[in-house]
Formats: sequence, structure tokens, C-alpha cells
Amino acid sequence: MTNTDVAAPASTAAAPRPEEPRSTALKRAALLLVRGRTLVVLVILVIIFSSISSEYLTQSNLILMTKHVAINAILAIGVTFVILTGGIDLSVGSIAGLASMVAGGLLFNGLNFPGGTVFFSVAMVLLIGIVAGALVGAVNGLLITRLKVAPFIATLGMLYVARGAAQLHSDGGTYPDLAGTEARGNTGFGFIGADSVLGIPVAVWIMVVVAAAAIVVTTKTPFGKRIYAVGGNERAAVLSGIRVNRVKIAVYVISGACAALAGLLLTSELGAAYPDTATTYELNAIAAAVLGGTALAGGRGTIIGTVMGAFVIGFLSDGLVLVGVSTFWQSVVKGAVIIVAVITEQAQQRLQSDLTRRTA
Amino acid sequence: MKHLPARRALLAVSAASVLALAACGGGGDGSGSPGESAAPAASKLIVIITPSPDNVFFKAEQDAAAARAESLGYETLVLSHDDDPTKQSQQFDTAISRKAAAIILDNAGADASVTAIQRAKDADIPTFLIDREINKTGVAVAQIVSNNAQGAGLGGQEFAKLMGNKGEYAELLGKPTDTNAGVRSKGYHGVLDQFPDLKMVAQQSANWDQAEALQKTQTILQAHPNIKGIIAGNDTMALGAYAAVQAAKKDIVVVGFDGSPDVVSSIQKKAIRATVLQPASKIAQMAVDQADVYIKAGGKTDQPEKQSIDCVLVTADNADTVKNFAVEGS
Repeated sequence: MTNTDVAAPASTAAAPRPEEPRSTALKRAALLLVRGRTLVVLVILVIIFSSISSEYLTQSNLILMTKHVAINAILAIGVTFVILTGGIDLSVGSIAGLASMVAGGLLFNGLNFPGGTVFFSVAMVLLIGIVAGALVGAVNGLLITRLKVAPFIATLGMLYVARGAAQLHSDGGTYPDLAGTEARGNTGFGFIGADSVLGIPVAVWIMVVVAAAAIVVTTKTPFGKRIYAVGGNERAAVLSGIRVNRVKIAVYVISGACAALAGLLLTSELGAAYPDTATTYELNAIAAAVLGGTALAGGRGTIIGTVMGAFVIGFLSDGLVLVGVSTFWQSVVKGAVIIVAVITEQAQQRLQSDLTRRTA
Repeated sequence: MKHLPARRALLAVSAASVLALAACGGGGDGSGSPGESAAPAASKLIVIITPSPDNVFFKAEQDAAAARAESLGYETLVLSHDDDPTKQSQQFDTAISRKAAAIILDNAGADASVTAIQRAKDADIPTFLIDREINKTGVAVAQIVSNNAQGAGLGGQEFAKLMGNKGEYAELLGKPTDTNAGVRSKGYHGVLDQFPDLKMVAQQSANWDQAEALQKTQTILQAHPNIKGIIAGNDTMALGAYAAVQAAKKDIVVVGFDGSPDVVSSIQKKAIRATVLQPASKIAQMAVDQADVYIKAGGKTDQPEKQSIDCVLVTADNADTVKNFAVEGS
């Protein structure tokens, strides 16, 4: 599909070409509308729900919904890195669960040595949790690059392995109380998930930081260019001297770390770690990326689009709960929105190639 | 292509580890192909199959059944079907090929489990059901379940009392496909609907899940700030709901169902207010005892097939006497 753009694989995804003499204005407008569809859908959702419930558009509900969005958005940002290279990461939900159990175990039981038990500070626990996620991501990356396992299979396998590891960690049990004690010096785990700074939940601040960093990395750095190049046309990327395997391992590490962070946020808010944490969240994350215009074939998509996709999913699910729609209909509506999003995605492709042909 | 040996090695390693795991679970059965080995006439193996021990409730079931069976001199094989009837069916095949003496089962579906149990019966292996019933009689030897309707009645009464018989409340339902979710909700409403001043303003399924209950409760509290109580279909959802209540710094009555240790300790701290204890350990032990009698009597039982065990209300008054899904002295 992208082979017409082989000459400049790195630039296919981003901005439209500056030279645009006399393409039909109508198609341009349509393209703009389709491009901004996530925003359009979001606005429509807000209008619909706020007309049904006066509670929907209140400040406190917007903050709450954004907080719910944060967890999925962070997962989805990580997954977007992977999808941009043409891969997929099905293991993020399980990695979130594993990180949750690792952190929960360290806070609740400490680390047992033959000589005694060591308790880490909360900052250290968070770091260990994220590193654990990154390591699982690295294993994914190595499986895919060194052993040539297809990304779908490798991460599907890891979905089970990481979930099993999370269950083994506590023998299936829950770490019920993660408040920590002063004596152990590990209080304050609730900060990232349950507290607010300047009236905005810490989880939302973290999402903003992660999104900003991801935007900078994907759009302003050579590494970001390489990600798009690998996803756009891997062969061309190899020929142009990009170390494709390194890029691929890196994106799975990023995805694993993001997943772990999301799991830690969820666990912090809940105040308890259980092995089923974040089950099936990988599907919500992938849905957010696809809704936001990330092409599963790779090479096309943006972080900001993914974040918008996460907002659509979150604002939709919370809205349906708020107005009291039954669980069954919630699933149907969510699925329908994702399918419609992909249909418009393809409409965008057609419009875009139409316009490109004309301007070329 | 040069990676092929590496892949093969990986495959071999994983296959070996699966085998090793299976051997551990099998309690050291030396035979590599149990299907063909001629088992001794009087098998001493009891197979215990339950949902995932992720939920402490099922873990307690497994532990109680296995401990009792081992104390009666049986070997045990403990398996988890993860609520997947297909997996459960395969585990029944394992039990049949191992010529088990009896199967203790917390099943994966009221209808979907019948054929597997029938298959075991045809192979002269009796099945004793615990916790969940199936929609057919005469297939299993016993169906020992806690009385969910009676328990939900108890929970509903206590909830109404804690609410002072008036005010707005929300209900968190279990997984819609699970019969117990419906039975408990019906039991709650059998009581709560009699109070005209008790008004249910929201009802959502949180699929038995703690994190989902947390988020849904937050949204529900947003929509209905005057809520005074939340009644949940099980304890994990009650814990999630309570986390949301705590975050909102509100004084809301939360009541659960199961009697899990985490909720019992929460009740001791006067956080969650009440739960309904299902005597999971007792039921599992009863099933093993009855299996033992049945095996020793050469295939006879003096108990009715359907046995219903009453649930016990747990509040701050008796929480100290509850341990591992059992109330002391009951």
C-alpha cells in the first residue's frame, strides 16, 4: 500500500505535502473532517450525554472521567509505539497485572532474603514495577526479533505467561492493604492513584507527562522517524541503514513500561493488588489506538490520536454507566463505535490517496 | 532458517516444562501415559476441579477439599477450569483416564457441565458438586450448595437495617451469565423492595471484578451524590466499591457477599459494614466425606442429591469469629 512512497518512508505518515495546487476543496474539507473524527465523535458524545444527564458536564465528572481515561491512555500510548512499527502487543493487560503484583508483594511482604526482609520506599517499588514491565517487554522484543516469532503470537504467549506469573506471585491471592507503615518507611503508595495536585488527579498529570514525552519522541527525534520508517516499509528501512531489530525491541520495552505504569496507577487507586488486575485491558488499549487513526499495518498514526481515542472510549463507557445503560448495551455500543472508526479510517485512506494522486 | 534449531530447542524446553508441571500436579504418578496403564481396582485418587483460585473463595474450597481427602488417605489432583466448560471437559477426560475414585466439582456452567459429568458417571466415577448446581438431577451423586437465596435475604435485611429503611442506594451485580448473580440480586430485592422509602437509583454489573467496581461506583456516585448505600453481589466488588467511597470521603453503607477474609477484616475496622458468609470450606469437606462414604459403601449414599447449606451473616458483632470461610462454633 505504501510502496509508492518508498523514496521517503519516514515522512509518509505525518504532515500533508505543502505543494497543493488545485485539488478539489470539497475533498480536502472531507479529509479534514475524517482526520479529526475522533474529536468530532468526542464532541458528539459530550453533547448527547450532557443532554441526558446534567451531571455529565460538571467539572467533577469531567475530572473523574479523565482519571479513568488516564489508565487506558497510558496503556494505549505504549501499544501505539508497537503498532507504528507494524507489530502488536497483546500482553499489556497481563504486564499491568504482573507489575501490580510485583509492587503489591514488595509493599505488603517486602523482599525476603535468607537473612531477613527488606522493605523498599514507594518510589523504589514503583521503579521496580516499571522495570519489571520493561523487562517483559524486552523479552517480547527478543522473541520477535531474534527468534522471529510473529508479534501476534509472541505477545499472545506472553499474555498467558505474564498473567500466570502474576498468579504465581501470590499463589492466586490478593495483597489486600498497600497503605504501608511508617516503621517500614513505605507509606504513600496511594499518591499516584488516589491523590490530586492542583485539583487534578496525579494519574492525569502522569498521563499528560507520558503523552507529551511520547509526542516529542515520535515527532522530534531520529528514533521517532525510525519507528515510522520500520512500520511504513521495513525493507526500505533496512536498506537505508536503520537497525530495525533495535527499534523493534525498544518499542516493546516502551510498551511494557507503559503497561506496568498503568497497572501501578490502577493498583494505587484500588489500594489492593490482585492477579486479575487489568484483564482484557489490552483490547481497550488497541481499540483506543485504532480509534485514534493508528493503522494496524504500521507506519501511520499519532500519539495525540491515540490519546483522543482513549478519551472517546472512556467518555463513552462512563457516560453509559452514568445514564444507567445496561452492561450488554454498553458492549454493543462500544464495539459499534470501534467498527465505525475503522470504516472512516479507510475512507480517510481513499480520500488521501485520491488527493495525493492529483497533486503528484 | 538458521534460527530453526533455537526454536526447536525452545519448543522442547516448553514441552518439557509443561510435562514437569503436569507431573507435579499429578501427585507423582510414575506412569507416563495414564490412559493405558492398568489402574489398581480400588483407586485412591480424588480429583478436585474448581474455578480459578484467584478468588480466595475457590482457593478455600480447593484447600479444604484437598486437606480432608488427604486426611482420609486419598491422593488428590487439584485442577482449575477457569470457568471454561471446554477446559473442564478435558479435565474430566483426565480424571476418567486416571480412573479416579471420585470427582469433587465446582462446575463451569449449569448446562454446559452436564455431559462431562454424565461421561464420568458412565465410567463409574461419581461426581459430587459443590457451590454451584447444574440444571439436571440424577447425573451427579450430590449437589451441595450454599443457599444463595437465603443468604441474599440475610444480606438484604441487614442492608435495610443499616440504611434505616430509607434512602437512595445502588446495586453492583455480578457477571450476568452466572446464575448466582441473578439469584443474589433477586434475594436482595425480595427484601429491599418491601421498603417504599428505599430507592434503587443505579444498578450496574461490575462482572465480579474489583477494579471495575471501583470505577463504576465512582461514576455512579457522580450521577447520584445522595446515595447512602451500596449493595454488591460479591465481596471483591464490595471492596472496589468501598475504595471509591473512601476516595469520595463519603459515609456510605457497603454490604457484600461471600465472607472473604479481606472483607471480614474490613468489617472489623468498621469500613465495609456486612457480608454474607458462604460456608465454602464446610461444603467442600462435606462433599469429600460423602464421597468417602459412597466409595466405601460400594456406590451407595444415604444423602439426598440436592443439599442446601445455610449462609451466615457477618457483621462487626461476629467478624472476630470468622476464619477462612467458616464461623467458629457453627
